[in-house]
Amino acid sequence: MAEMILKKSDLAEFVKSLLSDYQVLAPVKEDQKVNFAPVEDGEFLLDFQNTFLSPKHLFFPQSEKMFEFSTDKADEEAFILKEAGNNPQPRVVFGIRPCDAKAFQVLDKIFGNDQYADPYWFSKREATVLIGLGCNHPCPTCFCTSVNCGPFHEEGLDVLAVDLGDSLLLRPLTEKGRKVLEQAKGLTSADNQAGEKAAALKAEAEKAITRKVFTDEIAQRSVMELFEAAHWDRVHESCLNCGTCTYVCPTCHCFDIQDEVAGAVGDRVRNWDTCMSWLFTMHGSGHNPRPGKKERVRQRFMHKFKYIPLKRDGEIGCVGCGRCINLCPVNIDVRDVVRNMNA
Amino acid sequence: MTEEQRKTEEFEPKIIAFLCNWCSYGAADLAGVSRLQYPSNIRVIRIPCTGRMSPKFILEAFRRGADGVWVSGCHPGDCHFIAGNYYARRKFTLLNNLLHSVGLEPGRLHFSWVSSAEGEKFATVAKQVIEAVKAAGPNSRFVKSRVEVA
Amino acid sequence: METRTEKIRETAKRLLSEGKVDVVIGYRAGTIPLRTAPYFARTVEEAENLIWNSHCRINLANFLPRRKDRVAVTAKGCDARNIVNHIIENQITRDQVYIIGVPCEGMVELDLILEKEGRPIQEIIESNGKLTLKGRDFSTSLERAEVLRQNCLTCAHRNPTVYDELVVDQVPELEGVDRYVDLKELLAQSDAERYAYFQNLVKDCIRCYACRDACPLCYCHVCFVDETMPQWLGKSIDPADVMTYHLLRAFHCAGRCTDCGACEAACPMGIKVRQFTRLLEKDVKELYGYETGLSLEARPPLTVYRPDDPQEFIK
Repeated sequence: MAEMILKKSDLAEFVKSLLSDYQVLAPVKEDQKVNFAPVEDGEFLLDFQNTFLSPKHLFFPQSEKMFEFSTDKADEEAFILKEAGNNPQPRVVFGIRPCDAKAFQVLDKIFGNDQYADPYWFSKREATVLIGLGCNHPCPTCFCTSVNCGPFHEEGLDVLAVDLGDSLLLRPLTEKGRKVLEQAKGLTSADNQAGEKAAALKAEAEKAITRKVFTDEIAQRSVMELFEAAHWDRVHESCLNCGTCTYVCPTCHCFDIQDEVAGAVGDRVRNWDTCMSWLFTMHGSGHNPRPGKKERVRQRFMHKFKYIPLKRDGEIGCVGCGRCINLCPVNIDVRDVVRNMNA
Repeated sequence: MTEEQRKTEEFEPKIIAFLCNWCSYGAADLAGVSRLQYPSNIRVIRIPCTGRMSPKFILEAFRRGADGVWVSGCHPGDCHFIAGNYYARRKFTLLNNLLHSVGLEPGRLHFSWVSSAEGEKFATVAKQVIEAVKAAGPNSRFVKSRVEVA
Repeated sequence: METRTEKIRETAKRLLSEGKVDVVIGYRAGTIPLRTAPYFARTVEEAENLIWNSHCRINLANFLPRRKDRVAVTAKGCDARNIVNHIIENQITRDQVYIIGVPCEGMVELDLILEKEGRPIQEIIESNGKLTLKGRDFSTSLERAEVLRQNCLTCAHRNPTVYDELVVDQVPELEGVDRYVDLKELLAQSDAERYAYFQNLVKDCIRCYACRDACPLCYCHVCFVDETMPQWLGKSIDPADVMTYHLLRAFHCAGRCTDCGACEAACPMGIKVRQFTRLLEKDVKELYGYETGLSLEARPPLTVYRPDDPQEFIK
């Protein structure tokens, strides 16, 4: 299927033509912050940097009921866990940035392997079509080009949209993407000119990301050498060990599962958890293998830049979105930390 | 019968009463031995002293579905542990104001000083507390019923 | 601001070269505009990185509890009061801390600036009460006064109350400020309205605990949120649990909070968590006549009592 053109003035028609089969989510401003919300017309943002929180909550909500059960002993099905409604409705998410889409690819490898696939993650992944929006003007804090990604990167997307000014170029990338574009209204075939313009925008955007991060040395050095480097003694000092970086990060994925019982019913709930918490590695015996801030801060960066590449065929556990840089209360800058790791 | 009347008529509140072992629990005991009548909505939790009270207990009681909470201890100056209730008084004042400021309805949270000789007072205050909680209706604002997430 | 930076560097270098302290805790410039970061200078060379500007929002007293070394800390009025509080609460000894007092005219609110200027800011220059924001193809300026933090607009103690030296002359304190105007209006509303207000206030909370971790008062080995027997609140974003967290944390700060605003500065979601702590601060002031951190000899209000403490609500 060829590339298509969607005029911005036809956005409403495009969205409405999908509503019969899909819920459509797009970037919307709420209280000064941009986040994905359901839309029913063309009233959404195309001119924004990135969503405030990463969109990982689309597939991995912060708090999610996994199972429910009854605790009523008279009930013959008491204490039998029943899956709590894992039936996501089909949806199209419009405006995902390539870094976030790439993050979903990385998480696919973590939530699934040859022995197990997390049904809660994958049911939502399968039901969702991702139409990405290339970044014509990357944020000053972006460094996606340094971590196997880029402002127009296609991995993880079903369609890539490029903002050409008063229209969007839509490039189908997968079967799912093609299906949506075939169903949608308001599209016309793109000509070569549009394709060339998109290519020029891509080149410009990649050039605009001047602050680079190098990970070649990290890839070559041993785990112990990186682990015992001296700079870790300084990085952790200002860290508050709050969970902000882990919660806004599109590739952070750790969680805690707990049963919450209310009278005669109970729910098994999965919540985001953070390796920044002392409780994260606390053993029942009282021993904590990561007893202090240094161990925890070191672990987070080692995990993202060394352990994940080692265990997941070279995938880096960071997509350069820059959210942690913007939101860390004490301005711990991942780019500086990685520079020290790579030094 | 109005809707209002029917609501208060049918509704039997659950009230958790934290009573200090030395004074208020003794008063409750005396009220019982003296066969003084008061409605049976109070569920007593005996604590060694009101100084032991923590805001966590009061919040937990509401979270678990209590419609009202009543804390009672020795009169200031008569605390079995000398000053426990003095410290408690400051904590109660601050917590009482905080919870009401964030929308706890009036009539749900009560504090009293009842000595072990005041069986009559215990029954009287119990009736006042139960009336007030009945008027406030079932607790819906600070209860944690079933976890509300995706 | 430039004078403060120079003086802080001078003082830090002197203390370090004379071996009076092992580390000077201050701020360094952020890696991105509108930010600073807590900085731990251990040598005279490192002391050159210390700065002072309108973005020193994090409370450095947060880094003091359980330290074994001798430290100097750059402290604005509120931070210095927290240091006093730490000493009173035995989290650090007076001898261990050298308080470099910095009379403060307020810090700016990051969210307010981003609200006024939505385009990505690449550089910011501060001079004479003006902030010049530069980005791709634009340059605008704002008055500091337009974007000061709420707690700074109603600051009761701009000058440190206890210090070892001041880097500049004391600044005039604000006169005739009512710190609780908005709370009084809120408290005049009905309980249903207040309930709705506070539920709405914390609806975006993601339980990251940045507020708790940025707060100098929160130094418990095991925070109540991590207690399991019993577990006082769930770990999810259930609204009842979120509210329980904020209520109990605020209560734990009663009589100890200096309204430094580090909690609001740290919150990634921009939640005005000071609305909880200020309710308690107002009561502590009005009922017990206490303000935190004014003197090393003061006793925090919940550790003392008076036989005639108010008790009209007690039957």
